[in-house]
Amino acid sequence: MATSGNKNINAKLVLLGDVGAGKSSLVLRFVKGQFIEFQESTIGAAFFSQTLAVNDATVKFEIWDTAGQERYHSLAPMYYRGAAAAIIVYDITNQTSFERAKKWVQELQSQGNPNMVMALAGNKADLLEARKVAAEEAQAYAQENGLFFMETSAKTASNVNDIFYEIAKRLPRVQPLPNPSGMVLADRPAERAASASCCS
Amino acid sequence: MENSDVFLGLHDFLERMRQPGAADFVKSIKSFIVSFSNHVPDPERDSAAVQEFLAKMEADFRAHPLWAGCSEEELDSAGEGLEKYVMTKLFTRVFASLPDDVKQDEQLSEKMALIQQFIRPENLDIKPAFQNETSWLLAQKELQKINMHKAPRDKLVCILNCCKVVTNLLLNASIASNENPPGADEFLPVLIYVTLKANPPQLHSNLLYIQRYRRESRLVSEAAYYFTNMQSVESFISNIDAKALSMDESEFEKNMESARALLSGLSTDLENQSNPSDHLIGHAPGAETMDPRHQALNVSKEPALRPKSSESRPRTKVATLNPKDQLSFNKVPSLSDLENKGAELLSKEDRVSQVFKEYPYLFAHAGDLTINDVEDLLNSYKELVLKYVCLSKGLGVSAPSIPPFNSQTKVQQNAETTNKQEDTRAADPNDESIKDTGRTEVYSTTNKQEDTRAADPTDESIKDTGRTDVYSDRVPLIDVENSESQLAQEEAVAPQGGKVEETSQ
Repeated sequence: MATSGNKNINAKLVLLGDVGAGKSSLVLRFVKGQFIEFQESTIGAAFFSQTLAVNDATVKFEIWDTAGQERYHSLAPMYYRGAAAAIIVYDITNQTSFERAKKWVQELQSQGNPNMVMALAGNKADLLEARKVAAEEAQAYAQENGLFFMETSAKTASNVNDIFYEIAKRLPRVQPLPNPSGMVLADRPAERAASASCCS
Repeated sequence: MENSDVFLGLHDFLERMRQPGAADFVKSIKSFIVSFSNHVPDPERDSAAVQEFLAKMEADFRAHPLWAGCSEEELDSAGEGLEKYVMTKLFTRVFASLPDDVKQDEQLSEKMALIQQFIRPENLDIKPAFQNETSWLLAQKELQKINMHKAPRDKLVCILNCCKVVTNLLLNASIASNENPPGADEFLPVLIYVTLKANPPQLHSNLLYIQRYRRESRLVSEAAYYFTNMQSVESFISNIDAKALSMDESEFEKNMESARALLSGLSTDLENQSNPSDHLIGHAPGAETMDPRHQALNVSKEPALRPKSSESRPRTKVATLNPKDQLSFNKVPSLSDLENKGAELLSKEDRVSQVFKEYPYLFAHAGDLTINDVEDLLNSYKELVLKYVCLSKGLGVSAPSIPPFNSQTKVQQNAETTNKQEDTRAADPNDESIKDTGRTEVYSTTNKQEDTRAADPTDESIKDTGRTDVYSDRVPLIDVENSESQLAQEEAVAPQGGKVEETSQ
């Protein structure tokens, strides 16, 4: 859910995509600014948070990774429930992963939060010679379905920050509702701020 | 030290509840708890009532002179203390209070008990580089502690600890094997595997309880993520079928039948014993002090497990463990028990020689053997040892040594010592690997501290200032002091989340 207050926005972002498409590498690149050689021992493996300053607001992403294997597909609704944003990741060198991505898009469109900001990421864009999915094809698909599209590379960092910034910009800016407890402390607004309208 | 701050914060809270100014709070808390004894359980309504009450009290704390000038942390501790206090009082009323939930717990537990017998990491897409069954035992133990606590937060901590252990093991494995850093693709399958092997007591009810009674404003962010994972684990396990494990329908059914037969043999033995230490599944009175060692062995903590009577009698080899033919043992069956059982059955066989037809060397003399037989024999030997060791592990018998054939003496291994050995055997290698890398941090939920604590001041204080006499009689006293060690320990989780943010900015 996206919660806001004092232009601080808390946004749950869910990562969907086939196993091996590079979901976790992408988010690690975004969160840590580096690929592979992360040494931070305390960092988690599947949940991350990262704050971005965008124009007039600060967006704190809470990033939920999901298991991409087909056998876990039916569990996904538990993860994307209440998400303000989703990145659907596929591997440009793997046609099957693109087909899976389309399935995710369809599912989110029918089951997800209607205000969810959706991004389609064609990852491993550095592996041009092995490309199987044309950028034009994905772009056209994204346009038809009202999501935005970028080719990314967790390896070279190409477009990684950009995709998160773009999502942050598109998040609906909800006016903070009056706080029921009647007091908002400036340093910890998020937890007590009222929820924005998201599905459950 | 955050830990000591939190510790002091809760002390402050308890101190404040003793003060005359807190009398109204004490009264409100008491009457809220008493109000629960007047109606039948209704999870939706009860959950909403508790959430609303906690929220209101927290807001009142914030506005009250008792907390004037206090830090957010102290107010937070006060809220935690309140949640723990209230929920410990209400626990017996609201935990697994519906017959349907109890039934689901039983079904889930039975399913896990069966599937854990044959599941392999590969069935869940756990890559070899990330497989580490020995160390996973550590994660299993965290999960098995869940019924040692009554407060929603403390139960949640068990889940978070388990997830942290899994995460850290995955990170270590990825570095050691130069794999890409792990994500949910790796994490969820291991969590499922660990949960299946742990078969934590009353998993369904515990998850519902946490969801309903953990203060909503605290079940957010990382805690919410890991809790959701645990819910999805429950969902996956209750829906496990052949396809979910990439097995043939027939293979899956065969495995399930074998598991049923095995467990029916074991449970019949267990029914014959009247060992009170086996009543571990339920939240029995005094379960808070339950020794986690008892939980180490799944076979020994499933006394209630029985195969469905409607099932046709399994026709697999294990079916010879038909309960009627069994000797009755006054202990958990060890390998030697099974061996003796088998020997007895064998002696009743009409054509014993037929049985041994597959083993040509059994009746051979040394002089009969040729050099070419050596390789054959060696291979058979290796296979035999592997099988024996695996079976021993499977039964939880430590340090297997092949007993003399046809031994008539039963090795005396009761559940207690078996568990103990299992425990130490499992823990040592883990500890080492953790220390070496310094990565895995387990937020210990040890009871030692708690046990040795003196009587709790809160209850005293409430009695001192208390004006509702009904209260102390109707609601059992709780050890609120317990929450301190818990609070202090779980705070160790928080800086981690904090670090993620810090380092990422």
